[in-house]
Formats: sequence, C-alpha cells, structure tokens
Amino acid sequence: MQSYIIRRAVLNIFVLWIVATIVFFAVHVLPGSFASQQFSSANLGGVTPEAIARAEAILGLDKPVIEQYGAFLWDLVQFDLGESFLTKRSVWSELGRAVPYSIELGVLIVLVGFTIAIPVGILSAVKQDQLPDYLLRGGAIFALAAPAFWTASIAVILVLEWNLFRIDVTGQPHIWEDPKLALQWYLIPMFAGGIASTATTMRLLRSQMLEVLREDYIVTARAKGLPERTIIMRHALRNAWLPILTVMGLTVATIIGSQIVLEQMFNIPGVGRLLWQSVSLRDTPLLEGLVLVVAFVVVFTNLFVDVLYGLLDPRVRLA
Amino acid sequence: MTTPNAPTSLPFEERLSPLTRFTRASRALGRFCRQKKLGGFGLVIVLVFIVLALFSGTLDRYDPTFVFAAENPNFKVDPTIAELAEDPNISSPHVVALFETPSGEHWFGTDRFGRDIYARVIHGTKLALTIGFGASLIAVVAGLVIGAISAYYLGKIDLVVQRVIDAIYAFPFLILILLIVQIAEPSTRNVVFALGFGGIPFAARLIRSAVLAVRGSEYVQAARVTGASDLRILVRHVLPNIGSMLIIVFSVGIGAFILAEATVSFLGAGPPGAISWGRMVSSGRGALDLHPWESIFAGGAITLLVMAFNLLGDALRDVLDPRLRGV
Repeated sequence: MQSYIIRRAVLNIFVLWIVATIVFFAVHVLPGSFASQQFSSANLGGVTPEAIARAEAILGLDKPVIEQYGAFLWDLVQFDLGESFLTKRSVWSELGRAVPYSIELGVLIVLVGFTIAIPVGILSAVKQDQLPDYLLRGGAIFALAAPAFWTASIAVILVLEWNLFRIDVTGQPHIWEDPKLALQWYLIPMFAGGIASTATTMRLLRSQMLEVLREDYIVTARAKGLPERTIIMRHALRNAWLPILTVMGLTVATIIGSQIVLEQMFNIPGVGRLLWQSVSLRDTPLLEGLVLVVAFVVVFTNLFVDVLYGLLDPRVRLA
Repeated sequence: MTTPNAPTSLPFEERLSPLTRFTRASRALGRFCRQKKLGGFGLVIVLVFIVLALFSGTLDRYDPTFVFAAENPNFKVDPTIAELAEDPNISSPHVVALFETPSGEHWFGTDRFGRDIYARVIHGTKLALTIGFGASLIAVVAGLVIGAISAYYLGKIDLVVQRVIDAIYAFPFLILILLIVQIAEPSTRNVVFALGFGGIPFAARLIRSAVLAVRGSEYVQAARVTGASDLRILVRHVLPNIGSMLIIVFSVGIGAFILAEATVSFLGAGPPGAISWGRMVSSGRGALDLHPWESIFAGGAITLLVMAFNLLGDALRDVLDPRLRGV
C-alpha cells in the first residue's frame, strides 16, 4: 500500500511537470503579451513597439525562452509561483483570495448533486421500468444535455419575473460572513452546476443498485422476511455506492470546468473566473500558477480516491 | 478471368451486392428503432437536425443576418425640436424591429439587432454539427492511435503516453481550448481541432482498456504464433473487435463536443463570424428580464440536439456492447 502511494505520487509529480511544460510553452507562443494587452486595453494612442518592448523587459519577458523556462521550473521546485503581473501580489495570495469562493461553490454543487442523485438513483432502481423510473431517467437525460449556463439563465429569468429574491452580484460575501446574502447569490449557480453533475452519478448508482439487487444475499435477506426498507438501505446501498467514489474523483475536474462559466456569469471571484481573466490579460505567472494548482487538485484527488477505494473494498488490491 | 495476384476468396461480406447490403442495413436499422424506442427517437431528432443543417438556406424563411424593420408607432411627419430631442427616431416612418415576441411572422421573435431568431437557430445547426462530428472524429482517431499503441506495447511507452494523457486530462479543459484557439487564431476549423485535441484523453483511455482486453485473447496469441506482424494484428484482429467501442465513443463524443463548443462560445471565445447557439444564449442575456426569447430558443436547441446524441449513444451501447451497459 505504502509503496503504491509513493509510486503514484512520484508519477503525479511527473504529470505536473508535463502540465507545467505545456502551459509554459503555450503561453509563450500565445500571440500578444501582458504589456501589449495592457496598452491596447488602455487605448493609448501612439504606443510605439519600443515602449512595449521596454515594458516586456521590465517584466522579464525579453530573456531567452530556455532561460525563462529554467527559472520557472526552479521557482516551481521551491513552491514559488511568482507574482501576478496585474496586481503585483504573489500568485499564492491571489489563490488565497479566490480558493475559498471556489471551494464554497464547489462544495455546494457537490452537495446539491448528491442530495438529488442518491435518492433519485435508488428510487429509479427500486421502481425499475415503472413510471417513476422513466420520469427520473428522462430528467437525468435532460440534465445531462442542458448546458449549465442555459439552466442558470432560465433560473435568472424566473427569479426576476416572479420577484423571488434579490440576486446581488456585487457584495461577494462569504457564507460565514453573511449567510443569507451569500446563499441568494450562490443559489442559482449551485443548482445549475449541481443538477448538471447529478445525471452521471444517478445513472451509475441506478445500474449498480440493479446489479446488487439481483445478488443472492438480497434474496436471502428477503427470505428472512426483512422489511424492504432495510434490505435497500442496509444490504443493497452499502454495496452499490462504492463505484460512486470513482465518479466523485472524476467529477472534480468537471466541476472545476463548470465553475469557470458559473463564476463568470455570477461575478464570483473564484479560481475559475481568475483563470479565464488571466488568459485574456496574458497574466502569465497567474495563469501558470492557477493551471498547476488545478492540475494538482485533479491528480491528487484521483490518487486519494483510488487509495480510499482500496481501503474500503477488500476485493480491490493495490499494487 | 483471374489474374495471379487476385485473392482467391473474398470475405463473405464483400461479395454481397450493394442492394442486398442496403436492405440488410435498413432492416437492422428498423430493428434498432423498434427495440430501442428512445434511441430511435434520438436518431430521428439527429436526422431532423442534419436536414436542417443541409437545407438551412431554404428552411430558414429569412436571411439570418437580415435586419427587419417595423412601423414606427410614434412616427410624426413634422416633429418639433423638443420632440426630436426626446425621441430621435420620431421623424422616420420605420424603425428596427428589435426584440419582437414570437409571432406568425417571426416564429421565435427577433433579437436585439432585429434579426429573425428562428433563422439564426436553423443556421446555428451547421456549426454545432460540424463541431460535433469533426471534433469527435479527431478525438476518436487520435485516441485510437494513441490508445492502441499504448495498450499493445505496454511497458515504458505505455507509462510515458499515459502520463501525457493524464496531464492533458488534468489541464482545465476550457482553458486548454481557449489557449489552443488563441494560439492558432480563432476560426471554426481551429475550434474543431482544439476540442478534438482536448477530447483525446477520454477517447484514448477507453480505447486503451478495450485494446488491453482484446490483446490477451487467444485469437491474438494465435495470430502472433503464425508470425503476423504487429500492424497486421492491430488492423485485422484488434480493430474489428473494438469497432463497436469506437462507434460508442464517437457518438457520445458528438454530444459532449457540441456542449463544449456552446460553452466556449458562450464565454465569447468561439469561432468569430459563425452563428453559434452558445453565443446566442450569451447575447440574449443582455436583456434577459424583458426579452428572454433568444436565450431560451438557442439553449433549447443545444439541449435537444445533445440529448438526441446521448439517447442515440446510450441505445447504441446497449445494442453493440451489452457489457458496457450503465457505464
């Protein structure tokens, strides 16, 4: 077990090095630089190429590529992600501001997703090929196809039309600061993202439950005269929910992706929004740092899930 | 007359006449639709959208870029200066017909520039299908090459290839697409390539595991014993046995890529110039509280088409490979 974890962790670091290399060279060949973007957005007339070159020299963008790459990796090894071109704050402190918002939204999305998916998946399996099953599966197919930005837009229309509550996108409170205002702000994105992530989990849980419900020990439990409720919750669900763990690991990447759109729509200053901004501003150090942190979260979540799987299911041997 | 080089016997399938093949294929299709009603339903919707894309020029009713005019209700022949200052359009008999609600004339209404939303939704089909089919094809072909090499040779090659795949997977998908599109200049073709590239990890992982399963089988070992080359084994023995897998990955990919393009376009990084549903949803958001029609119809089109491809993919999976059911 221990050697497995160490081997996987080493491989993950290798993966992160590839990610770092991809993002470094992608940013390098990207047309335009932070300096030229700033000048063009400030709309200053008569900016000479020399002025842009001078600004790039100050940012250190004029050095040879290999030297920049070496310095980037050297800093990375020391966990130094550099500082944002725009705000001049370190990338770590930018992350410190953005990550809490993203975790808040991410946790809410996961909560919504699972509180819908688990009962729906169980019900759908228990009522297999009956009306509730068809309706719930139809809903899942719809949820899988509808883009989160669209369902969120429709929700905004309805909230405005019926005057349900105020959506304030300027205050940006954390949940522990002003729970009511924050929840009103997060409500639509958390449901739009949550519902979109429900479908996969629900469908997997349903098929797992169907498989487990045909096992011999379920027949035995029925023969013993156990109430159906106990059979489903105690005997079936316990053995069906393990594969859901794998899905949880995989949805981390999906949820981070959907957060880019939702944070952009609702003006949530999280990691997704910062990522998108850093590309359009060509804020190189910020972009590189954010991509690496996201990649780190994705690869190590997957390792964590695999290890947990090995611990929870004695049939799975990790080697 | 036979030439010495001609193969003595062709495989059974290749000797059938085109007509027989056609009737067989259509019979199989009919059976598929009867067995898998939802899949048949998805297939019908997909076909309708393909027809819409091919004949968009005749089914659109109006030019998607035409700006419609409407009678100006406030028109006055000789307005005073004060009236003109209040409403600059008062002296013109016609104004741009913006934000019309759905009617017999404009089925889905008009957008903020006075263009027919129905015509624009119809024309948006072309981009969605081009992206879906193109990107999925690239992902499957590249995934096949990478997955097959990785699974067939295993060892160090597999180790390195899989780590690169992991790296692309761990890279935030939308940011990867945005970077590639901006490096290669935004255009429909480059969006197709970027999405296809971003989809490689998903295709390659599935195909790798399918090849791994076939690799250990007895007929592959038998082929190796007879001295068949690696290429021959891959093409003649491995490929035909993962064919159904490829079809499933391809069909499920189409829906996913249409959704991804819509998201990229919604965020404003889609192909410039082309009519895109994602961009329509975003442009309709400008006046969402009063004029939601553009967003509603464009998003509805995305949902319907993606749903159709998902239903079709699910049914194909059930029919072609029952082992994968519920994956």
